[in-house]
Amino acid sequence: MTTHKHIHLSVILLLFVCTASMAQNTRQSLLLNLGYYNDNNYMQYLKATAKAKINGKFQVIPGVPVSFYIAQVADENLLGKAVTDVYGEAALPIPAMARTLWNSGPKQTFLAVSTPYAGYESAQTDLDITKAKLKIDTAAGRKIIVTLVQLQDSTWTAVKGADVKVAVKRLGGDLNAGETPTYTTDSLGSVNVDFQRENLPGDASGHLVLIAKVEDNDVCGNLSKEYTVPWGVPSSYKTSFNERTLYARRGKSPVWLEIMGYSIVAVVWIVLFYLMGQIFKIKRMGRQPFNG
Amino acid sequence: MDNIIKNKIIEDLLPRRFGNKGKLWFGILLVLCITGLVAYARQLSKGLEVTAMRDYVSWGIYISNFVFFVAISLVGSLITAVLRLTDVHWSTPLTRIAEIIAVAAITCAAVIIVVDMGRPDRFYNLFTHGRLQSPIIWDVIVITTYFFISILLLYFPLLPDFRLLLKHNPKGAFSKLYRFLGSFWTNSPGQIKINERAINILVITIIPVAFSIHTVTSWLFATTYRPGWDSTNFGAYFISGAFLVGAGGVLMAMYAFRRAYNLEKYITGQHFDKMGRIVVMLALLYLYFNINEFLVPAFKMKKAERDYLIGLFAGDFAPLFWFAIVCSMFLPIVILIFKKGRRPLPAFIAGLLVVIGSWFKRYIIVTPTLLHPFLPMRDVPGSYRHYFPTWEEWAIAIGSLAAMLLLITIFARIFPIIPIQETITETEQHDNP
Repeated sequence: MTTHKHIHLSVILLLFVCTASMAQNTRQSLLLNLGYYNDNNYMQYLKATAKAKINGKFQVIPGVPVSFYIAQVADENLLGKAVTDVYGEAALPIPAMARTLWNSGPKQTFLAVSTPYAGYESAQTDLDITKAKLKIDTAAGRKIIVTLVQLQDSTWTAVKGADVKVAVKRLGGDLNAGETPTYTTDSLGSVNVDFQRENLPGDASGHLVLIAKVEDNDVCGNLSKEYTVPWGVPSSYKTSFNERTLYARRGKSPVWLEIMGYSIVAVVWIVLFYLMGQIFKIKRMGRQPFNG
Repeated sequence: MDNIIKNKIIEDLLPRRFGNKGKLWFGILLVLCITGLVAYARQLSKGLEVTAMRDYVSWGIYISNFVFFVAISLVGSLITAVLRLTDVHWSTPLTRIAEIIAVAAITCAAVIIVVDMGRPDRFYNLFTHGRLQSPIIWDVIVITTYFFISILLLYFPLLPDFRLLLKHNPKGAFSKLYRFLGSFWTNSPGQIKINERAINILVITIIPVAFSIHTVTSWLFATTYRPGWDSTNFGAYFISGAFLVGAGGVLMAMYAFRRAYNLEKYITGQHFDKMGRIVVMLALLYLYFNINEFLVPAFKMKKAERDYLIGLFAGDFAPLFWFAIVCSMFLPIVILIFKKGRRPLPAFIAGLLVVIGSWFKRYIIVTPTLLHPFLPMRDVPGSYRHYFPTWEEWAIAIGSLAAMLLLITIFARIFPIIPIQETITETEQHDNP
C-alpha cells in the first residue's frame, strides 16, 4: 500500500515538474504583418505590425525587434532593423543601398523577421510587391483624373479594377472629393471624379490639396499621391482678440491694460524703494551725536 | 525699569552657541541638504529623466513643495501684520519667529521652482522675455516682491537689537556682521520714529502682497482647465490653507525654540493657548473651503470630474487624501479645541500634524488632477499612467525642506529669535502703564 502511495506521488511530482518545465519553455505565437508604402511616388517604406492573441483578442505588441530584408533572408539583403512602437508598428524607409536589387525587376519580395522576444516566438512574413504609381491630373469643369499604373517588364501599364480613394486633405482627415470615397479604375487604369466640394475653405490663396490613395492592394501595396488645386475659398482668420485682451501677444495687448498691470507692481516697488531709502536716513541720523 | 530685569531680558534673549543637540540637529540638516544637492547634480547632468515626471504628471513633488513653501511663508503676514495692525500685543515674541519662517520658506520656494525647470540656465529668460500676461510671471513678480518685503520686515525690527548685540558682545563671532547691519542705530527718537513708520508701512503693504502671492499660486492651477483645478474657489481655498499651515509651523517653532533656548518666561503657556485657538479657527476655515471645493463638484459628479473625485474619495489616492484631511484639519481641531490640548507639547503635536498633513494636501492638489486629463490617456507607456517620485526627487524635496530649517537654525544662531528691544519696551510699558 505504501509502495503504491509512493508510486502515485512520484508520478504526480513527475507530471508537475514536466508541466512546469514545459510551461517555462512555452512561448506565445506572434503574428507579423508587413506592408509596403509609397507616398507621392517618392518616399518608400515598409511597416511591420506585431500582434498576439491575448485573452482571446488580438493585441499589438510593442518592443518587438524586427529585421527587414529584400528578396530573401540573408545578411547581404538586410535593409535594416526596427523595433515595434506602442502601436505595435515598426517602420523602415527602404535605404538607397537596396537600389540595385530594387531596380532588378518590376516585382520585388520583402521579408520581415522577428527573433524570440519577451515570451513570444520568432515570426516571419513576406510580401510580394509590383512597382506601381499614382498620377493625379485635372480637367476643365473641376474634374479629377487619377491613374494607377504598374511596371510590366520595362513599361508602365494601366491597372484595371483597383480601388482608389480620392479625397481632399483636411486637418483632421480626408474629405471625399466626389460622391463616394472610393472609385474603381477602368481599363485605362483611371478614375474620373467630379469635384463636388464647393466653397471649401482653402489656404490664404484658396489652395486645396487633393489626395489619391490605394490602400492594402494585393499587388501594389499602399500608394498615395497629392496634388494642389486652386479650388478652395481663400480663408483669412480675423479676430479682435489682440485689441481687447491682456493675454494678447507681446506688444498687441491694449496699452491701458498693460499700464494698469505694471502700475500695480510699480506702486508696490516704489514703496519698497522708499523704505530702503529710510534705512539710509536712519543711517545718516546715526552719525549725528545722540546721548540716549 | 530695573536694570537687573533689563539685563536679564537681554541675557535670556541673546543668541547662543549650539549645544550638542544643536550641533547634531545642524549636522543632520546639513547632510540632508548635501544629499539633495547630489541628487540635483544628477538631475542637472542627466536631465529631468531621472525624475518620475512624464507627459501627464509634469508637476510632481517639486511643485507640491513649492506650493507648501509659499503657503507656510504667509505666516509672516498673519502674525506680524494682521496681529500688529489689530493691536494684539501678546504676539510680540512670535513676530520674529514668524518672519524668519516666512523668509526661509519664500527663499526655498524660489529655489525649488528653479529645480523644477529642466533647464535652470534659462531662468533669466523669465526676466528678459517675461510677459505680464503669463501667470508664471505673476508668480515671479509676487515672490520677488514678497521676499523683499519679508526681508525688510525682518530687518527693521532687528535694528534696535543690533545696538544691544554689539553692546553685550562687542567682540563676538558675528560682531562684524552686526556692525555692518546696525552699528548706526543709536536709539534716537528720530530713528525710532522712522523705524516704526517703516514697519507700519510694511505691515500694511505685506497683506495684499501676501494675499497676491498665494492667490497667484492658486491661479497657476485655476487658470488651467482641468478636473479639480477648474475652480473659482481656489484663491480663497489656498489662502486659508496657507494661514493654517503657517500657524501650525509657528506652533512647532515656538515649542522648539522654547525648549532649545529655555524661553519659558517669554513664550508662555498663554501664547500656546492663543496660537492654539487661532489654529482651530483657521482649521475650521480651511475645512469649510475644502467642503466647498469637493462637496459641490461631488454633488454634481460631472463626467469629466467623476474619475478624479472617485480616485480621491475611494480610489488610489483615497488613503493619502483622507490622511491629509484628518491630519491637517480634524486631529488638530480635536486636540486644540480643549484647553489641555493647548498646552505646549500637545500644541506642538497639533502643529506637527498640521504641517505634515498640509504637505500631503499640496501633493493631493497637484498630482491626481494631472493623472485625470479630460482626454483619456491612450497608447502611452504604463509609467505615464501613475506617478511615484524617484529617490532623486525625494532627496531634493527633503533637502529643500531641510534647507528651510537650516536657514531658520542659522538665523537663530546669529540673531535674537525674540525681539529684545521690543520685549524691554513692552515690559516697561506693562510696569509703568
